[in-house]
Amino acid sequence: MTGPLYEKDLTSMKYAILTSRRHDRMVHEIASDLGLPQLRVRRYIMDHFDMLLMENLPARYERGKKDREDSPDPERSLGAHLYTRAVPMISEELMDETVGKVKDMLRHGTPMDQAISSGKKQLREAIVP
Amino acid sequence: MTLLQSLKNIVRSKSIHVAYVDVGSCNGCDIEVLACLAPRYDIEQYGIYVHNNPREADVLLVIGAYTPGWEEKLQSLWQKIPDPKVAIAIGNCPISGCLFNRPHTLVDPPVSKHIPIAAQVPGCPPRPTEILSAILSVAPTVFKDFEVRK
Amino acid sequence: MKRTVDVSIPIGPVHPCWKEPARVKCETRGERVISAEVELGYMKKGIERIMKGRPWQEVMFLAERVCGICSVIHNMVFIEALEHISEIVVPERAAYLRVIVNELDRMQSHILANFSYCYTIEHETLGMYLLDTREKVMDELERITGARVTCAFIVPGGVRFDLRAEDVLHLRASLDILEQDIKRYTGIFERGPMIALRSRGVGILTQEAARESCAVGPTAKASGIADMDRRLHHPTYQKLGFVPISRNEGDNFARIMVRFQEVIQSIALIRKCLDQLPEGPIRGGGIPGAGEIAYSGEAPRGELSYFIKTDAAGRVLEISIQTPSIMNIEACCHYMLKGVASLADVTSTFVSSDPCIACTER
Repeated sequence: MTGPLYEKDLTSMKYAILTSRRHDRMVHEIASDLGLPQLRVRRYIMDHFDMLLMENLPARYERGKKDREDSPDPERSLGAHLYTRAVPMISEELMDETVGKVKDMLRHGTPMDQAISSGKKQLREAIVP
Repeated sequence: MTLLQSLKNIVRSKSIHVAYVDVGSCNGCDIEVLACLAPRYDIEQYGIYVHNNPREADVLLVIGAYTPGWEEKLQSLWQKIPDPKVAIAIGNCPISGCLFNRPHTLVDPPVSKHIPIAAQVPGCPPRPTEILSAILSVAPTVFKDFEVRK
Repeated sequence: MKRTVDVSIPIGPVHPCWKEPARVKCETRGERVISAEVELGYMKKGIERIMKGRPWQEVMFLAERVCGICSVIHNMVFIEALEHISEIVVPERAAYLRVIVNELDRMQSHILANFSYCYTIEHETLGMYLLDTREKVMDELERITGARVTCAFIVPGGVRFDLRAEDVLHLRASLDILEQDIKRYTGIFERGPMIALRSRGVGILTQEAARESCAVGPTAKASGIADMDRRLHHPTYQKLGFVPISRNEGDNFARIMVRFQEVIQSIALIRKCLDQLPEGPIRGGGIPGAGEIAYSGEAPRGELSYFIKTDAAGRVLEISIQTPSIMNIEACCHYMLKGVASLADVTSTFVSSDPCIACTER
């Protein structure tokens, strides 16, 4: 016998967790913040997180949102802490790289909105390749 | 049945090993089963030993209303218990689903659809003494006609 | 350099030390755990889905059955949220009786958690002492509320039964015995050299990690975070002068000691309640009405929050429950278990965070 003994498909159970009211609101907010379809965000969470982290996501998200308000601007708009530590959707290296790029663009005189939206585009590409 | 076998059966029915499995309850029945271990009820003076290992058990206490996570797994757990074996349903949940058996629920009671149940102890939750007396009343019947297959 | 093989070791769903099914998958190098993942889904009943659209009279009993161990606080938070929505006034005597029953429930839950831990580290004697002590608390709970578990003692506008004079005498006598017992067991636990070997410095949760994973209750208090205790915001507890306790070690030992200390604290709170218990009615009037509220209270395991939205007939239109176990088990599995030295410590560390899977999955 080679295969694992008890492994089974957890997709339906994971989806059941994501249908609660708090999770729904969180997915909605993340999707509108990053400019992704909600379906993609759900899919990403189901593929990458274990079930316990999924259950705890709304609490972590609320805490991360509070911390986000306190941080300085390019990090705040990109949600640097929120998306790497609180809701770990993006690796810290990629986030550092993105924040660096956005800061570079700001230094070269690019308007804030444009710089942030190009940073978010990079994050989007990491989530939906 | 040989005399030796029937003697063995009588002796074995005085020493019952119990395992419990929670298939989706509110935890109330679990702690009442645990309370049976307390020196006040002292389950071990009746020759019952709770160690929660299905591979050594004679009696399986089933608690809870059967959630989808247990599909196939409860069956395989039941198969791991060596013969002779019985299952006792503790609480309302494995019997009828109790409060959880309503529209939009995820549970799939009764548990007797999935594994054979020998006795039922209703209550939400039943008292430890009731659980104890249920195990004691089932114990003699487990080994009654048991013969080792050749 | 010799290469050690990485192994993924699943523990559970049925495990001799655990009360409830959960599956922890540990990635290990040798016996040292590198990371752990948890697979749930064995207890998901969908209580929030069942509750939606039902009258409060039914939801009240369902709320109690979210968790059987801490049923009183679920009952209390749901009813108090309902009272805040519809501005029902609670008589003072009833408010004190609620605190008494809630603290008794907290005591039995903490003693059970400590029993589980002692049982897991194979100190069965102390475990059995604790389990026997718990029965004394259950007796008092039964004498006051009429049931051991899921007692539905708290109703909108008051409580179900009054505390008679002889009950007060009996409760005071039991509290004296309990205090003596618990102090003795705390001493055994604190000074036991074998217990210290299994508990001190094992499963450390730093304050930073506790904040990141939003840990609550005794798990957070053992890591030095005490300001999130919801009892500080409860009017009756404010009258009693409640001050939360905290420790700084953040290991298994600290978590168990915090629970022991909280039991002693609960005894003091109940005594204070009995001293200050005013005379008067135990039921006020009022009809649950329409509105929405987010309300939280302190369960034995930490902060428990309910969001409910009701209509004019008292039906619950929307509900969401956030239980403390979610945060605590997450803190345990993703932070404490990292770097635990052996697989025997995995089970004991998991149990030390007082996991309640029924709460977590609902």
